[in-house]
Amino acid sequence: MATTREARSPRWLRLCRADEIGEAQSRGFDPDDEGQDSLFVVRWQGQLHGWRNACPHVGGAPMAWRRDAYLNAERTRIVCHAHGAEFMPDTGLCVQGPCRGERLIDIELVVDADGELFAKK
Amino acid sequence: MKIVGLESLIFGVDDVRGAARFLVDYGLTPVDVSDRSGRFEAIDGTAVVIARQDDPALPPGPVPGCRLRKTVMGVADEATLGAIAAELRRDREVRRLPDGSIESIDDSGFVIGFQLTARRPVVLPGEISNAPGGVVFRPINSLGVPPPGSVIRPRSLSHVVYFVPDVAKAEAFYVNRLGFRCTDRFTGTGPFLQPGGSLDHHTHFLIGAPPHMHGVEHFTFHFGGPSEMITNGYRFVEKGYQAFWGPGRHILGSNWFWYFNSPFGCHIEMDADMDQHDASWQPREATASADNSQAFLLKMRRKWYPGPGIPENGDYA
Ligand code: FES
Ligand SMILES: [Fe+2]
Repeated sequence: MATTREARSPRWLRLCRADEIGEAQSRGFDPDDEGQDSLFVVRWQGQLHGWRNACPHVGGAPMAWRRDAYLNAERTRIVCHAHGAEFMPDTGLCVQGPCRGERLIDIELVVDADGELFAKK
Repeated sequence: MKIVGLESLIFGVDDVRGAARFLVDYGLTPVDVSDRSGRFEAIDGTAVVIARQDDPALPPGPVPGCRLRKTVMGVADEATLGAIAAELRRDREVRRLPDGSIESIDDSGFVIGFQLTARRPVVLPGEISNAPGGVVFRPINSLGVPPPGSVIRPRSLSHVVYFVPDVAKAEAFYVNRLGFRCTDRFTGTGPFLQPGGSLDHHTHFLIGAPPHMHGVEHFTFHFGGPSEMITNGYRFVEKGYQAFWGPGRHILGSNWFWYFNSPFGCHIEMDADMDQHDASWQPREATASADNSQAFLLKMRRKWYPGPGIPENGDYA
């Protein structure tokens, strides 16, 4: 995640204010209005991380069990609520479950000088 | 052996409150819910039971990642309970629990229980379609689409689907030891299984899978018909839950389906109108693919006629 003043270009999609996502929280976004969140953001140990809402186990499977609910109860792992795969929130590495060793697809994020969060298209 | 079907599924969860809300929103009725556990019943009393994953009363799952801790089946009579106990004691431990049920383990490591069924008899007509020339019709002036605000409840615990590392061994246990029969089969994947006391196309479906997937693919309850089930599914989506596949209709079993993600480490399904078969049925065999699994798949259209708010390039773009 970088801080930049160049975020307001067509390459970047505005998601929300960065401080709307608190520590150990997750939030999904549907920037292309597909009717289902295509990416989600987690804040973990202070840092924001963006991931595609697509489990590597079954191509493209959506991962939350309820809107914005991508984490386990202890808020230490991202969980795919299809078959329970668990991922590290910062690296996207699957550490337990059917796709252990595979990774989530990373989405580049930036926060501009006004504190707005953008994702790279 | 008169095993009549699933009686309850017991899960260990990390968030009892969240899971409880999920099951109530699905349509089940909460009974005895606390911060530590809860029971959620369908109309006939079959249920999902949840407890905190560290609850010492929970038996272990087949593998650490699996949240399903026990599958309880109902039997018609004491004779069946005795016969199952005698059969399983030949090569494994069978415990008699204080509630009169018995507990053991299947050949894939799933803890299984058997109890005299406590299913409440339900007399409640299923969905009826009006058709020219038909014999049975909906009462005149009654409506086919469940009205907004109507209460929709699952009727009965339908089936569970296990991922098992050795599907031949898993099937042999249910068929040879517990008297299930295979009603249909996906080649190279596994069998749909029906117990001796049920006519449902399946109460169990086994999927051969690598050891790291060992666990549960999904479980589901029967609803009163496709309109009820799909209406319930849309309400569920509106409450913020994540659909995975559906609504559609399966080919083997003919059941309408809609799958959702869940906090149980597996999918949950809503189903309706499953085929029934008796011993004269000849099992079919098909290759497992999306094409062989869905007769059709429905998609909701937000807008269906041209008008304000339709994008320039139409709603089909
Ligand atoms: S699709 Fe994510 S764990 Fe199976
Ligand atoms: Fe199913």
